[in-house]
Amino acid sequence: MPTAEPSLRDEYAAAVERVAGRTLDALRGAGGAVALAPVLGPEPGPELASAPGPEPASGPGGAASGAVEPPRSLLAALRVVGPDLFAPQLLGGAAPDEPTALLLAQAHRVFPPMAATRAGQGTGAPDGNAVVAAWRDWAAGVLLVRALGAGPGSADPPVGVDPPVDGSAGSAERSVTEPAPAPATVPGHAAWPDPAAWQAWSIRMAQLSALALPGLDGAVHRTARAHPLALARGAVRSMLRRDHRAAARLARWLAWSRAQGIALPLDVEPIIARIRVVSDGSARTALELAIAEALLDTAGERA
Amino acid sequence: MTDHEVLATAQRIGSRALAWLDASHETGFGALDDNVTIDIADPNNAYKPIGECALAASLVLREGVTGPADADRARRMLAFGWAQLRDGNLLYERQLRHMLMTDPLEVYAHFVRAGYRHPALEELVRSLGELRSVHAAETAPNRRLAIANARRVAGLDHRGPDWAHLTAATWLGATPEPWALDWFTGYDITHTVFHLTDWGARPEDLPEPLRAYVRDWLPVWLDIWLEVGQWDLAAELLVVDSCIGEPVTGREGWEALAAVQREDGLIPRDNAQPVAEEPEQAFKDHEHTAVVAVVASTVTLSRALGGATAAVG
Repeated sequence: MPTAEPSLRDEYAAAVERVAGRTLDALRGAGGAVALAPVLGPEPGPELASAPGPEPASGPGGAASGAVEPPRSLLAALRVVGPDLFAPQLLGGAAPDEPTALLLAQAHRVFPPMAATRAGQGTGAPDGNAVVAAWRDWAAGVLLVRALGAGPGSADPPVGVDPPVDGSAGSAERSVTEPAPAPATVPGHAAWPDPAAWQAWSIRMAQLSALALPGLDGAVHRTARAHPLALARGAVRSMLRRDHRAAARLARWLAWSRAQGIALPLDVEPIIARIRVVSDGSARTALELAIAEALLDTAGERA
Repeated sequence: MTDHEVLATAQRIGSRALAWLDASHETGFGALDDNVTIDIADPNNAYKPIGECALAASLVLREGVTGPADADRARRMLAFGWAQLRDGNLLYERQLRHMLMTDPLEVYAHFVRAGYRHPALEELVRSLGELRSVHAAETAPNRRLAIANARRVAGLDHRGPDWAHLTAATWLGATPEPWALDWFTGYDITHTVFHLTDWGARPEDLPEPLRAYVRDWLPVWLDIWLEVGQWDLAAELLVVDSCIGEPVTGREGWEALAAVQREDGLIPRDNAQPVAEEPEQAFKDHEHTAVVAVVASTVTLSRALGGATAAVG
C-alpha cells in the first residue's frame, strides 16, 4: 500500500505484531486456539506487554468494538500472518479452528487475493511477489477449507493469479495431495528463480515460510525437500548479511525439512539460538523461530 | 568442466595482474632498502611482498599454462626477489639470528619451487628442526600448516609432520557453523586449503569431510565477500575453489574481479577506500591482491586443462 499515510502504516504494522504475538502466545500455550477475540477489544490485553517489540499503536482503527466489524488494520494483519494463524493447532496435531478461520475468511473478503497480488502491477504476467502472494493464499485457502468445509457459504478460498491455485474450494483442498505445478516448472516463468540460483531462490522460499507447516504439501514443499543445500546456503547467507528475519524463515524451512526426515548439511538449533539474541525482537520473527522449534520437536518425536 | 568464458576471464585477469607486478618491479617498486638488516623494521613493507611475488611466479612456472611472455615475467620476478634477498643470504642470516622465526623458510620455499637453492640455509633449517623448541613454538594452526608445507616443498620435512593432527587443529578442521565466521577466519580457511594442497598441486590432500564442507559453503562465503567488495579475500576464495577439484562457484567471482581490475592490471584489495594516486603507494597497498589473482588464475587454468587432458588421455 504505497499510498498509506505513515500513521496508517504504523497502525497496520502494530496490528501485525499484535496478531503475531497472540499466535505466538497460543503456540507457547501448548497448541490451544489462537483466541484472537481479545485482539478485537478496545485495548490490547495486558499480556501483550510481555511481547517483545514496539508498543502496539492504539489508532482509531484499533478501537472498534466487538467481532462483527473488526478494524481493517486487524483484517490486514490477519492476511499478513495468514496460514501461520493456524500454526498452534497444526503443530499440536489439531485441525484449524473455526473462529480463527472465520476471521481469516473475512480478511480475505476485505482484502481479496487479486487486489493483494495485483497491487501496483501493470497488466503483464505476475512477478515473483505475485507468485509469493498466490502461494500464501493457496496455503490459507487449503486451511480455510479444512476448517470451514467447502460448501456454499463457506470461506472463499483465494483465487491465485497464476500457477498455484485453480479456483474452487474443493480443488484447493484437493491440491493438498495433488498440488499445482511449482512456479519454477511453469515454462517461461522467469520471475521465479531456479533452485540452482540459490541466492534468489532462497529469498523467495523465505517469503514462503508460512507454507512450512504440518499438513500442507505442494509443489513448493517438493522443491524444498529436493534442495536442502540451497535452503541451508540461503540461511547461512542471510545470517552473514544480518538479514535475521530471512534467516529465521529459512531456518524454519530447514526445521520443516528435518521433520520430513531429510538429512541437513547444517545444524538448525544454533542458528535459532543466535537469531533469538540478535534479531529485531519482533513478534513476527519470534513466531518464525517458535514454529521452527516446534517443527524440530516434531522431528525429534519422529526420530 | 569449467566454463570456457570463466577460463578466458581468469586468464586475462591473471596475465594483467602479473604484468602489473612485473612492471612495478621494473619501475623500482618492491625493493628492499640498501641498508636493510636481518632485523627488518617492517616486514610488510617489502620483505613479505617479495615472498608473495615469488609464490605467484613460482606457481606460474610450476603449472606451465601461460604463454612465453608471462613465463618470462615470472622468471624476471623471481630473479628480482632473489637478488633483493642477496641470493638468499639475507634469509640465512635472519634465520641464523632468529631461530624461531619461520618466515625465512617460508619465503625460501617459493624460490625452491622455481629451482633456487641456498644449501647453508637448508642445513641450518634442518638442524633447527631437531630442536623441540622449534616445534613447540606457539603458532596459529593454519600457520603450522604453512610451515609444514614450506618444509615439504624445500625437502626438509624428514620428521614427517602429522598432517591429520595439524589439520584437525584449524578452524576449517572443525567444520564449524558456516555462518559464525569473520573476515580473519576467512583467511584462516583459505590458508588451510592453500598449504594442505600446496596451492592446488595436491587437491586430494584436503580430507574428504573438509572438501565436502568447503564445497557446501564456499559459494556463500564468496557471495558475501563479493557483496561487500573485499576483492582480496574473494580472490583467495577463488584460489580455494581451484584447489579442491571441480570448482563450485561459477562465474560471478571472476566477473566481479574483471570488473574492478584496472587497465594496467591493478586490482583494488577492497572497495573501502580509493586507490592511492601515488603509484608506489598503490603497489604497496594492492600488491597482495594481484598476487592472489595470479595464483587464482594459474591454478584454475591448470586444473581445467589438466582435467581436459585426463579426459582425452
